[in-house]
Amino acid sequence: MDKQILDVRGMTCAACAQRIEKIVGKLPGVGQASVNLASEKLFVEYNPDTVALNDIKKAVDKIGYEVVEKSDAQNVTIPIGGMTCAACAQRIEKVVRKLEGVESVNVNLATEKATIAYHPQTVRLSAIREAIEKIGYQVLNVTKENAADEDRARKQKQIRTLWTKFIVSAIFSLPLLYIAMAPMIKGVSLPFPAGLNPMNFPLIYALVELMMVLPVIGVGYRFYTVGFKALWQRSPNMDSLIAIGTTAAFSYSLYNVFQIAAGHFSAVDSLYFETAGVIITLILLGKSLEAVSKGRTSEAIKKLMGLAPKTAIVLQNGDEKEIPIDEVEIGDIVVVKPGSSIPVDGTVIEGHTSIDESMLTGESMPVDKKAGDMVYTASLNTTGTVRFRAEKVGSDTALAQIIKLVEDAQGSKAPIAQLADIVSGYFVPVVVAIAMIAGIAWFFGTGGDLKFALTIFISVLVIACPCALGLATPTAIMVGTGKGAENGILIKGGEALETTHKINTIVFDKTGTITEGKPTVTDVIPMGTQDADGLLRLAASAEKASEHPLGQAIVNGAQAKGLELLAVEGFQSITGQGIEATIGGQRILAGNRKLMEEKKISLASGEVDSDRLAGEGKTPMYVAVDGQLSGIVAVADVVKKSSRAAIESLHALGIEVAMITGDNRKTADAIARQVGIDRVLAEVLPQDKANEVKKLQAEGRKVAMVGDGINDAPALAQADVGIAIGSGTDVAMESADIVLMRSDLRDVPTAIDLSKRTIRNIKQNLFWAFGYNVIGIPIAAGVLHLFGGPLLNPIFAAAAMSLSSVSVLTNALRLKRFKAKTQEGKEN
Amino acid sequence: MKKNTKILFAAGAAVVVIALLVVVFQMVGGNLDVVGKQSVASFDAVLQAIPDQITADDTNGGWSLLAPDGTVRFIWSKDYSKSPLHDVMLELDAKPFVDAGLDTTKLPSNYASFDGMLMVGTKLGNEEFKYSDAMTPLSSYEQIVKNYRASINYHTALDHYGVKLGDGNMFEWAKDMTKISATGKDQDKDIVFVLNPEPLIAAGVDPAKVVGWVYAQVPVEENGKTIQVYKFLKPFNIV
Repeated sequence: MDKQILDVRGMTCAACAQRIEKIVGKLPGVGQASVNLASEKLFVEYNPDTVALNDIKKAVDKIGYEVVEKSDAQNVTIPIGGMTCAACAQRIEKVVRKLEGVESVNVNLATEKATIAYHPQTVRLSAIREAIEKIGYQVLNVTKENAADEDRARKQKQIRTLWTKFIVSAIFSLPLLYIAMAPMIKGVSLPFPAGLNPMNFPLIYALVELMMVLPVIGVGYRFYTVGFKALWQRSPNMDSLIAIGTTAAFSYSLYNVFQIAAGHFSAVDSLYFETAGVIITLILLGKSLEAVSKGRTSEAIKKLMGLAPKTAIVLQNGDEKEIPIDEVEIGDIVVVKPGSSIPVDGTVIEGHTSIDESMLTGESMPVDKKAGDMVYTASLNTTGTVRFRAEKVGSDTALAQIIKLVEDAQGSKAPIAQLADIVSGYFVPVVVAIAMIAGIAWFFGTGGDLKFALTIFISVLVIACPCALGLATPTAIMVGTGKGAENGILIKGGEALETTHKINTIVFDKTGTITEGKPTVTDVIPMGTQDADGLLRLAASAEKASEHPLGQAIVNGAQAKGLELLAVEGFQSITGQGIEATIGGQRILAGNRKLMEEKKISLASGEVDSDRLAGEGKTPMYVAVDGQLSGIVAVADVVKKSSRAAIESLHALGIEVAMITGDNRKTADAIARQVGIDRVLAEVLPQDKANEVKKLQAEGRKVAMVGDGINDAPALAQADVGIAIGSGTDVAMESADIVLMRSDLRDVPTAIDLSKRTIRNIKQNLFWAFGYNVIGIPIAAGVLHLFGGPLLNPIFAAAAMSLSSVSVLTNALRLKRFKAKTQEGKEN
Repeated sequence: MKKNTKILFAAGAAVVVIALLVVVFQMVGGNLDVVGKQSVASFDAVLQAIPDQITADDTNGGWSLLAPDGTVRFIWSKDYSKSPLHDVMLELDAKPFVDAGLDTTKLPSNYASFDGMLMVGTKLGNEEFKYSDAMTPLSSYEQIVKNYRASINYHTALDHYGVKLGDGNMFEWAKDMTKISATGKDQDKDIVFVLNPEPLIAAGVDPAKVVGWVYAQVPVEENGKTIQVYKFLKPFNIV
């Protein structure tokens, strides 16, 4: 299955998003279609053998929305010197167009600039530059547009257009409202032109109102083109409600203009032009504010995108040359000077410096880097000049992976959002039905008062606009996941977000999660013919081929003492137990109690020491030679400083904390006591970790598993929420629902806290979105009026609807104030 | 929406709007003052309904419309350059008001008292009118519509036109003497003589004691708003 993200234009509310999902989802070969209204993207998973991407685009176009073709061509503007006439411009165009990979070129003689669209994978910018310079022209500073700049420009244009429309409509609708309302306001005598007196000059009055409302309808034309089209296709949306309501008001008023012309002057009391005009104006105001707020909700992605530098200094033939970042290739030697950002991912080959990785991980302390250390895109080189070999460029860099992960997360739906979608799909048709029933009922109930019935009809349509409903969830998810990314917490989707807030049990892997994962040898207790160094050398030699951290610790311990390791003739790793090796003809076993018991090695002579060591939180590794216990090498892994604090925070959130380890029970219990673990699952084989998680789930618990993502992949996948910590590897990102960039356990309660707050925010948004509708519809339908209560003027209904959208967005933006408790502590 | 489609749509909309305006203009014969225009037709209907009550009034240089009971008449001038007193006025029997306590010496300057009659009205202008056709009661009324349009008003609730005589005094007549167009009910007040009671009360009249005039609250237009005020009314159903 292929996955694509398509930009979709023209959506106005949840009903539009749902309609697209429904239509695309129905196409054969489409596995999944999900629309994010806030970011205007369609995320689609499809089988390219069954359905072409073009067919998907056509299906969306057919129902009235625009799929914006995103060419992967890069746009660049090149100032060119030396042109003298049109022939020069044409010559440059001809030469550049011939280069393979150039999509289009346009040279403007007047501005002396060439605008070129090209595919960076096929042709380098330097090749284009060379081609131009070869025919005798000079290439000056190049300006390249990137996706973030283009997106920003488009959003700004959208905001400007909406504001312009709002201002134009307000210029006409405010005086229109004054003319309509001034004569009606009791107790206050407002200035009013005598020539517009509705009693004495009803036709002039009506025509002036008509002329003033027409420009408003003009700038609001989209409500009609989209709304009626959706209605025609039996999928009415928010625009349909506005279109029906304002058209009813306008048409009835127009009818009354003719009535006045025919001599029925009392029809001047039945003009509703100001209702139509003000409704459109207020909804445009709501849309403008929405567009501004939406821009802010997606700031996290834009910020991330903007972190990457645009150029890099590479060594070419021994010389340092500054080139666009897209031209850096794997294997290039990149030079980074102090104060510059790292342009691509790679490994340091020369130099020594400190790198500030806070923009990626949130870790404020600069990290020392030397030869052999990895450096990452967008991190900041602070002190020294380094040279590194580029290993990951373009979309493979850690930054690009993070951006993609956050983008995907923002496009995904939380289950609660899907519920909102289902409701919104039925909402509009139900509202139209309520409006019609209420209108008809009041028409007959008032003995044929068409004016009253029409007011009811329009009010119900307008107050019921589900404008805010479509924004309620995605805006909160966008801000929440964006905030997480700022704090080094990558949440992979709306579903992960929603499940995380329900977690009541967390299982931590011990080694590398609760502990530093760098065990060291603490005790060497010989019991046979070997002395301590001899025992250590034997064990280290046997463990040399082992990948296990405990084995590596023994090897490091021996190397630290300068002990020369022995040659190993045979080696076998026994998962969950230890290793078996042959050294100098001797059969060496090194491992835990299980291994010794299986191999029938008596541990009687070592029980006292091993119990003592385990009680101290150390892991005793038994070493047996030719079937006899030869000694114990104890290895201990230091508990992370943040572990205790993190577990306390989790307890404060009401979460039970468990620890899972292959270590023996005594050692595990000792570690658990140190950090406050509630439940210990010890002596668990790696392949059984997932089962342990399953057992906890069988108790009815919602379980999160925290591990490094590499060794714990099955357990992470089994858990309700898998949290990979301190790893930005592909495997971690694949298997985990949440990826914590730092190795700080305190990010776990932070992630859970963020999740709870985001879900709470979504619920608040849904309340605001629905609340106006639920309270407003009965009032608008005249239910209160039946008992002598108030009616809802259509203009107030429109104001309430704009307010609901603004309320939802403002509430979502409150999430931006989220601070990790560790951050709050530091600030205090 | 593509640019060409937008342009076409806008052009289409413009054509529709222009067509609508043309239709409206044609309906009203190019005269947007539908109230003024229709008031002439309605006034003519009144004149035709009571031809015996319509006479020339040489004393006042105008025309007179006498109430069916003979106690009050509406007078409108033919030539404002020659009106001796007012251009538009009511002349009424003073006796009901005198009997109710009126001291005519305390009446304001827009009132004149002569021979047991009260005259109240206003001067609209001083011009000599040019008549294209014959000088008739209707054409003299038309001059008011044409030159002093602000003196003519229409009231929706009562479905009445009226000539303002100054200081809250009016002569009103029904737009349609058969029914009230707003409600569809019968029109039983085809013509109404309307007096502002305040100067009369200030001059000593006890409204409760006035015979032959109804003292009641009626809706009137003020600054585009409808307010309720007390008036002395003498309505007649002539058809």
